[in-house]
Formats: sequence, structure tokens, C-alpha cells
Amino acid sequence: MALLAAEKLTKTYNHTNVVDEINFTLNQGKCVALLGPNGAGKTTTLRMLAGFIKPSGGSIDFSEKELSKDVRAHVGYLPQFPVFHNWMSGEEFLIYVGRISHLSKEDAKKRADELLQLVNLYDQKKLRISKYSGGMKQRLGIAQALIHRPKLIILDEPVSALDPIGRREVLNLIRELKKDATILFSTHILNDAEEVSEEILLLHHGKMIKQGSLEDVRDAQETVSIHLAFTQEPKYIEEKLREMESIFQVERLEGIIKVSVHDLPQARKQILSIVQEEEWELSKFEVATSSLEDVFMKAVQE
Amino acid sequence: MQWLVIFNKELLEHLRNFKWIWVPIVFILFAVMDPITTYYLPIILESVGGMPEGASIDIPSPPPAEAMMMSFNQLSVLGVLIAVVISMGMVSSELKSGVYELILSKPVSYIHYITAKYAAMSVLVSISLVISLIAGWYYVTLLFGDIAFSQLLVSAIFYVIWFLLVLSIVMMFNTMFRSQGLVAFISIIVILAINIITSIYSHVLTWSPALISDYIGIYLFSGNMETEMWMSVLISVILMVVALTIAITTLKNRAIE
Amino acid sequence: MDETIFQLILPIVGLQLILIVIALIDLKRIEETQGPKWMWALIIIFGNLIGPILYFVIGRRP
Repeated sequence: MALLAAEKLTKTYNHTNVVDEINFTLNQGKCVALLGPNGAGKTTTLRMLAGFIKPSGGSIDFSEKELSKDVRAHVGYLPQFPVFHNWMSGEEFLIYVGRISHLSKEDAKKRADELLQLVNLYDQKKLRISKYSGGMKQRLGIAQALIHRPKLIILDEPVSALDPIGRREVLNLIRELKKDATILFSTHILNDAEEVSEEILLLHHGKMIKQGSLEDVRDAQETVSIHLAFTQEPKYIEEKLREMESIFQVERLEGIIKVSVHDLPQARKQILSIVQEEEWELSKFEVATSSLEDVFMKAVQE
Repeated sequence: MQWLVIFNKELLEHLRNFKWIWVPIVFILFAVMDPITTYYLPIILESVGGMPEGASIDIPSPPPAEAMMMSFNQLSVLGVLIAVVISMGMVSSELKSGVYELILSKPVSYIHYITAKYAAMSVLVSISLVISLIAGWYYVTLLFGDIAFSQLLVSAIFYVIWFLLVLSIVMMFNTMFRSQGLVAFISIIVILAINIITSIYSHVLTWSPALISDYIGIYLFSGNMETEMWMSVLISVILMVVALTIAITTLKNRAIE
Repeated sequence: MDETIFQLILPIVGLQLILIVIALIDLKRIEETQGPKWMWALIIIFGNLIGPILYFVIGRRP
């Protein structure tokens, strides 16, 4: 079921369309990644959904009419660089944002406690936010976005500024959140999108160039790649592979040779037979499902 | 409810950063400074010496009302200055740092946000003012002679209104500029302009809010409340509402691009 | 005469002292100030009434 639908959503700054007539729907309970290189219009799109920016054109419609009155009541928003009242403790801040979101005193306290546990800050809840590390602040930022039990959670680049450990923590958290809310998060890191999201929206130069479930987008790729590695690399291997009609691209990556093919069964037969004929010392033969990166690069190049 | 939450949070913030301690103390020091130095001037001059033999220093002691006006006048300059600098970041600092993104992404009414912040700052400044004027009054009655406490209290309440207007002007500029320095600078220029224009055309602008302290002077000397005082108060309240309304709409337009 | 001077001046000196002490306590607790901390300590202690005010208004801003 759709939570909201955006139609021909547009934002224009100085006569350029930063977001250019994009259409998409967000389905309830799904985790959606908004992908795109820097400057693609991701933040602008998210801020429009969060009610911070008025669209220059198009519409955002929630399926439930009452949600459209003050969207902020139903949307939890985490900006890319969240700034807090640093003089407060983590717990105080959560209770404060809970209460300005119309929770009762008791409810705000209870909710803050739950969230502090969820984001693993319970032991530091009395600590002033000024003493929090970057990762802790990001987790507190997620907690504050959830405080009023929003139907939609919008996270702007939630992991890109974090170190690997912080990144892992936040990704695990997002996986946890998927259970009871719709999540839309932006990222320019494809792995993150691949890891936690079910659907992707691919934005480039303000235009929506691909969208759909992760599988659909991957399957839409008509090419598959095969990774090859050898204990001792045969001479002229690249040239020999390129001669095969089923193979259209040969790339040398670190330690492996990546072969992009149109017709997997035929290519497999051809490669294996030449390996046998020429007695190549094959150490790895792997059919790789096309990664999102392939999709991304291809879409961006088009 | 939401208003009260923001208001309480602001009061707590003023407590945490010690404003609730240092602002009243500084105001008290401003208020007692002039009456005391005036009183002890002859003694200070004597102890410094250099007076010709036999020359007696005879500086007439001012009447109590005049001494009391010294407190008011000191606060009109230094007190206003402090009021401006402690409120120059009320909103502008949140716009600059980015905290507003978290706060205003919640269903917060812009009216509540502005008025609760304004009210919390007003409470701090008003209480500081009243306390400091009572301290000034204490020294004046001790050193120069009696002034009725009720008279002082009435004067203080009218005086607070001028400060509330000053704070509303600062609030208005808070929503327009991100730089606290710029907010303070423009606020002071505007307040100075109001004072200067009023003093040039005081016979025409009898309703000017800047004349409140003059009317307080008349009231302390004669015990009579000028009817123009009420006009000045009315105009002050109207200007306050206008300034706050501008602040609210400006913030709304800035927060939602 | 001398006695009354003390009675009158003492509260004022007391208030100034409180101001200085509070400013110093805050300076010790706060994470960072505008400019080096030792400089602010000097300003607070030797700046008379202006010192602590300057600290609270300018120094404690992040």
C-alpha cells in the first residue's frame, strides 16, 4: 500500500531545476534508498518531503488525507548534519523534542527511554550532548527523528560521515527500524543502499532515472559479469576473451578479470572450453549478480 | 502546552548558562553605581587631596528623586546594551548553527516558538530590572532621603515596558540575520534612532516609547502621572505586537524556502 | 563614617566577587571558548566589572 505519492515534483532555484518533475511512490513499511551522486537533488527532495521546502511545482500526496495538514507531525527528519542543543543531555533533548511534538510528559519520558535503548545510548543518557562523539550524535539524531512515532522516517545521508564502526551501527539500526515504519534515506554509497533497502530511487541531475525494487532494477540489467582468476595468468588472455562473440567487455580489476557477457550459458561454455584447450590455470570462476554499482554507472552514463 | 514546553526550556537554558545569576548582578551594579559615587564624591575628592588649605568642598546633595533617576539613566544606556547582547542570538544562533532543522521539523507552531522565546527572555530581563531598581532605591533612600516604595515599584513596571519593546525589536532582527553581531548592531542603531528622533521632536512625539523614562522622572519628582505616559505605553505595546508578528512571518518564510 | 562606608560598599564588592567566581567556574567547566582559556581567566579577574560581562557575552560563545 502506498504511503505517499509524489507527482511531477519540481524545485527551481535561479531558473535551474534542482529537482525536475520526478514521480515516485513510497510504499508502506518499505525501506527506500534515494541514490545519486552529490548534487543530484537528494537533499532538496528530502527537505520537500519533510516540509522544509515548498515545491515549485508538482505535488506530494499522502494516501491518508489527514496526514497532509501538517506533514511534520507524521514525518521524522534527520538532516545530513544534525545540530543539537549541546547544553542538554541526550535524554533531556529527546524528552524536549517529544514534548514539542505534543507527547505528554510521561509518554515523552517513556518514549525517550525506549529510543535511548534502541540506539544504544542508554548508558550515556545523562551525558551532555557536547560530549557525544560523531557516531553517538548520529544515533541520537535517529532517535529524535523517531520520537513522535512518525509514519515516514527521512534520513539524509545517515552514514556517509561516519567511520566504519559507526556506519555499521547505524545500518543495523535502520534494519531494525524497517520493522515498523517506512524509511526513506539518501546516500551516494551504493553498498549501503544494497545492504538495507528493498527499493531504490535513482536520482541524477534532478531527474529520476531508475526506480523500483532492488531485484527489478538488477534484473533489468541485460548483462551479467563473470569473475575469473588464475594462479598464473595466461598470455594474451584479454585479447582471446575479447574475440568471443558472447563477451562484450573485459576489465581488469584487482586480482581478477571481470568479463561482461550478454549470454551467460554460451559464455560459460566458451570460457570453460578455452580453459581446457589452452590449459589455463584457472583458480576462480564466479558468476556475479550485477551489483548496484553496475546499474548506477550505466544509468548515470546514459 | 507546547508553548510552555519551549518557555520552560528557555528558562532552563538561561539558568544553565548562568544568565539568571549574572544579568541581575550586573543590573544591580549599574543601578547603584551612580548614586553611590555621587554620594561619596566629596569624600573621594578630599582623600585625593590637593585642595587648598581651608577650602571646603560643598557639593549640594541632590534630591532623592534626582538620585533615583541616576539609576534609571544608567540602566537606559548600559542596561539596554546588556539586554540587546544577551538576546542577539535568541533565534539567529539557532538558524546559524542548524538546530532549527531539528526543532522546526517537529510540528512546532512558529507563533509558539517566537513568543515563548521572547517571553522567557522578557521574564529574565524584567525581574533583573525590578531587582536592580529596588537595590538602587535602597541606596538612594539610605543616602539621599525617602522615596515611597510603591512609587518606585510603579515606576519600575512602566520602565519594564520600554525594555520589552527593546527585546521585541531584537527578536525581529534575530529572524532576519544569522550573525549575532549584526543583530545587535542593527538593533542598537534602531533603538538609538528612536531615542534621538524622540529627543529632537519631543514636543510632537509625546507618545514616543522613548519618553517613558522621562515621564517616570516627572512621576518621581512630582508624584503625578502624565497622561502621555499611557499613550507611550499603548504605542509600545502596539509596536511590540508588530515587531513580533514580523518576526513570526519572517521565520516562517525563512524556514520554509 | 568609615563603618557605614563598609556597610554600603561591602555588598557591592560581594556581588562583584560572585560575578567573578561564577565566570571562573563556568570557564573551568566549559569545553571551548572564543580564544584561549587563560586569556579569559585574566580578563575575568582583572577586567573589573567589564571582564566577567565580556566573558559571558563573547567568550562563552562556541
